[in-house]
Amino acid sequence: MTEKKLKNIFSQGAIPASFIAESIQKHSSKTGIGAHSIFLGQVRSDAINDKKVAAIEYTSYEEMALEKMYKIREAIFEKYDLTCMHVHHSLGRVEAGEISLFVFTSSPHRNAAIEACNETVERIKAELPVWGKELFADETYQWKENT
Amino acid sequence: MQVNVIAFGQITDITGRSTITVNDVTDTNELIQKLHSLYPALANTKYVIAVDKQIINENMLLENNNTVALLPPYAGG
Repeated sequence: MTEKKLKNIFSQGAIPASFIAESIQKHSSKTGIGAHSIFLGQVRSDAINDKKVAAIEYTSYEEMALEKMYKIREAIFEKYDLTCMHVHHSLGRVEAGEISLFVFTSSPHRNAAIEACNETVERIKAELPVWGKELFADETYQWKENT
Repeated sequence: MQVNVIAFGQITDITGRSTITVNDVTDTNELIQKLHSLYPALANTKYVIAVDKQIINENMLLENNNTVALLPPYAGG
């Protein structure tokens, strides 16, 4: 792999709503932007055999995930007229109801922003080596699987 | 010659650890056979392998100090 700066997308714990608000605010100086599209993934409290998911504990093969994310980013920028893209994914424990994935695309026009955001989310779910342990209140768990 | 195996997700439940050092294997098929004899439950588990972060779909010759990752189905987001 050649030397390049891989952007870290991972941070410990839930993504706070205030962080998302600040990210939006930071774009006010980029006046060529006409549209933002945002996807927020929230930990869902699925019920499995009368037990409810209390939290998900995320782990990743981080080095591989960051290289893959770099490739996804390059492909998305090639395909869509984007001004910028930001991706944040949680690691560690995230409680039900909290945000674990934040994808934010900006473009002069809405179609590019919306489609790029959707495609990025789909590719993250399919291609990034990330795992989620669904933790129940009684301390048992099962491994999450993306559908 | 040794390769470094790293396990992720549900596979760590089977191996009980996240890193395993395996000696004297020449290719990935041989490595997988060895792992399946060490951890029989692996044979019934869905996973792909990556050699030095590249997913491989066919047998591949291994070199000293390769890192082989065992990757169960992804669940990001």
